[in-house]
Amino acid sequence: MRFLMLFAVLLPLVSGAVLPLFRFRRRQRERYVFAAVCAASLAVLALLLHGPAGTLRLFPLTSTLIVALRLDGAGAVFAGLVAFLWPLASLYAFEYIKHESGDDRFFAFYTMSYGVTLGIAMSDNLLTLYLFYELLTLVTLPLVMHSRDVRSVRAGMKYLCYSIAGAACAFLGLMVLYTLGDPTLRFVYGGFLPADGPRRTLVLVGYLLCFFGFGVKAAVFPFHGWLPAAGVAPTPVTALLHAVAVVKAGVFAVLRVTFYCFGPAVLAGTWAQHTAMGFAVFTIVFGSAMALREPHLKRRLAYSTVSNLSYILFGITLMTPAGLAGALAHMLFHGVMKITLFFCAGAIMYKTQRQYVPELTGLGRYMPVTFAAFAVGGAALAGTPLLPGFLSKWGLAAAAMDAGGTLPLLGVAALLVSAFLTAGYLYAPLVEAFFPPKGAGEHGLAQAHDPGLLMKVPFFVLMAAMLALGVGSRGLLALLARIAAGRW
Amino acid sequence: MGFLLLLPILFPLAAALALCLRPLRAQRRRRAFTVAALALELGLTALCAALAGGTLPLLPLAEGLCVTFGIDGLGRIFSLLVAFMWLLSGVFTQEYMADREHLGRYHVFLFLTEGALMCLCLAANYLTLYLGFELMTLCSLPLALHTQTGPARRGGYKYLFYSVFGACLGLLGFYTVHTYGRGTAFAPGGVLDPAKVAGHEGFVAAAAFLAVVGFGAKAGLFPLHAWLPAAHPEAPAGASALLSGVITKGGVLCVIRVVYYQFGAAFLRGTWVQYAWLALALVTVLLGSMLAYQEKLFKKRLAYSTVSQAAYILFGLALLQPTAFAGAILHVVVHSAIKDGLFFTAGAVIEKTGQTDVRALRGVGRAMPFTMGCYTVLSLGLIGIPPLGGFASKWLLAEGSLASGIPVFGWLGPAVLLVSALLTAGYLFPITVSAFLPGADLDGTSAPPLEPGPWITLPLAVLTALTVLTGLFPGPLADAAAAIAAALC
Repeated sequence: MRFLMLFAVLLPLVSGAVLPLFRFRRRQRERYVFAAVCAASLAVLALLLHGPAGTLRLFPLTSTLIVALRLDGAGAVFAGLVAFLWPLASLYAFEYIKHESGDDRFFAFYTMSYGVTLGIAMSDNLLTLYLFYELLTLVTLPLVMHSRDVRSVRAGMKYLCYSIAGAACAFLGLMVLYTLGDPTLRFVYGGFLPADGPRRTLVLVGYLLCFFGFGVKAAVFPFHGWLPAAGVAPTPVTALLHAVAVVKAGVFAVLRVTFYCFGPAVLAGTWAQHTAMGFAVFTIVFGSAMALREPHLKRRLAYSTVSNLSYILFGITLMTPAGLAGALAHMLFHGVMKITLFFCAGAIMYKTQRQYVPELTGLGRYMPVTFAAFAVGGAALAGTPLLPGFLSKWGLAAAAMDAGGTLPLLGVAALLVSAFLTAGYLYAPLVEAFFPPKGAGEHGLAQAHDPGLLMKVPFFVLMAAMLALGVGSRGLLALLARIAAGRW
Repeated sequence: MGFLLLLPILFPLAAALALCLRPLRAQRRRRAFTVAALALELGLTALCAALAGGTLPLLPLAEGLCVTFGIDGLGRIFSLLVAFMWLLSGVFTQEYMADREHLGRYHVFLFLTEGALMCLCLAANYLTLYLGFELMTLCSLPLALHTQTGPARRGGYKYLFYSVFGACLGLLGFYTVHTYGRGTAFAPGGVLDPAKVAGHEGFVAAAAFLAVVGFGAKAGLFPLHAWLPAAHPEAPAGASALLSGVITKGGVLCVIRVVYYQFGAAFLRGTWVQYAWLALALVTVLLGSMLAYQEKLFKKRLAYSTVSQAAYILFGLALLQPTAFAGAILHVVVHSAIKDGLFFTAGAVIEKTGQTDVRALRGVGRAMPFTMGCYTVLSLGLIGIPPLGGFASKWLLAEGSLASGIPVFGWLGPAVLLVSALLTAGYLFPITVSAFLPGADLDGTSAPPLEPGPWITLPLAVLTALTVLTGLFPGPLADAAAAIAAALC
């Protein structure tokens, strides 16, 4: 089973890299990409069903630092999430990308980033994670710049600078861990730094460097600027990478650093924890508030992602198992909810070229499937019971209430304020779409209609997934609680 | 017999689904379907109220988080009230909206909202209550938005955001009870665990207060009242009646459940929470009456009146005293019947005469004697003239207030209620006077008869009769409410 991990990582990487060599026609390329993505997803599924499979050492860099793969509980959550969403996003991309050029380039990098993301999920140690993390920046950069106009190149450069600078910061923290902790940097639940070790200030500064460094990809304030800008990328990229894979890679790295390197025993109750949590709490409200005043639909969703990523960071920085369980749940659920919303925004753009919320007036009747998906996703993200968002927010809030203290309670308040703002920025487009002003001109609406089957299938699958996760997550949440307690 | 609890909740959803799948375009068939379904729903609710018992844990969402239904005395009163008022409004709508647009959509959401309210009435724990509250907001929003005019959309947005904001405050209460209580199932006297609360009294009390304010928003409690006069009058009259007469009571039910069944009356008695709540309620009573008094648009005046009257109920609940509690429950039923009836008359008058301003209704009593006659009886009931409905409930409220022994508020409350009753007379009665006694200068002999058909007059007659009956025989209902109150206070 150990080699299956290597297979899952390498297959998309290699098949993506060689894709341009084949000079496929459209249909052939679609089949090829879909086969590669599905094979990797099946491999992940097999790994998840099989359970822990041990460590696969690939090659040593130094005597202690080894690039190695291992799938533990937290990694399984992340890998499972991307493995579920990647095939759906591919289907969506096949239709969406028809109206853009440079398909080969797009699908090559799109497939490669899948392998890199799985690499992050399956990293055995911080060095391996760092390696894949940098690689992820590089393979996703061409996707951000895909349309190659001024705006997307500028957004790409912004993304590159933010990410590389962040990774450099995180690297400093990594050096602290290397010197004061375990020179193999191998992930251990609870961390590998001695709780009463020397140089405490250095340790805490190192943690914050890691938190904000990796936090760049998790769009924590004040390093969130690249994410709304990156919305110029084609929607499949925004939906999958900037709502799930890339940003969750940042969150996942923070999770690894917090729980598996420094450890809650070292961090809990320190000013470093308070600083990190304070920034997360602020970002929760900040992101939602920015989303509310942003009229561009995709950028609005991007700001919403900024806010929701900090929900997860808040859960992590609580540094309790319950908080981590809530964070893992929100990582999964937010992925499913947000990709749905982005798909809707993309379908609207694709079919009507409309990008701003006020332009959605009256569209609901003409694109019922798209807006039904938007309604379900919006209600879920706003935290309506029987949908998944309610459960993960409940988990986070309950963990914060149990932790007690000023900052966690402030966090609960932030969650509630943000829930209110979320309803504001997601329900308003729905009201516009379904209840346009009486007598509003229906100019140009008649030819608007739902997208084709390839884009509709993901909508139906995702809606069903949200309903199922909303009422049937008891086992999943119990599993996440076990993982968060270090028992997988 | 737990499964019986699901019937009143699921049946309206099934009816809505049926209407979605097979829109009934012919007026006769839709009429028959709607009325039959609503009548059947009332029957199912009665069956459930008579036979169902115990609790039904339906959907375990997570550890300690389960959608659970149950029925008790309070649930029986509220669910029967909802089903009954829905039937009357459904009948009224068949004539009132016979030639409007988007009728299919209206009926679908009418059924969905009823299902959501049933979920609220039959909730057996905080989670289910919150679910019902959220669904009630989302399903009734299309009713408020229905006409899609500028004011309706503005009112709808206000309704949505005030309600969601209130729900967020209610959610804080949920988190708090979950953390500091022994589970979140409803139990008379509350579920707070003194050992867990010790040291956090301030926070828990603040959360209770915010939950009251949040759920109170649905009942138009100051300072979250502003949406109500914006949204209620803009809906079609049948929906206005339900929003004002019944859905505000959904907010009241949430407040009762949270205060008396979660935090517990004993925990809040004598605290700043109780005083602040009393103050807010009394401010709302006066504010609503005064705004209604100066408002010239008929339906909007009635909406301000709802703000005031729903605050009577919240005042009674805030006293945390059995007699006042009974008065509050009685007022829930009475106000629901009266306000439904008043909105029906307003709808009929506006529909027939095309006048929305109360000053333009001179002499309308000659054209619509039956409708305006009902209006007069209902108005007298709302003012509280014995032996009509409002008298007994207000009497109990005042009696409970004086018996509560709460400093200042104990005697201030009845005084405010009295002033508000005068204002109520001031904003309701002139309409009757000018309708029937327009003065000698108006030539009324030539006024064509405008009396609406039986689909409007019948529900109106039923509500008027109900107002008289609850006034003459408040005993059974007051006793039932007193029995509930005995276990709570």
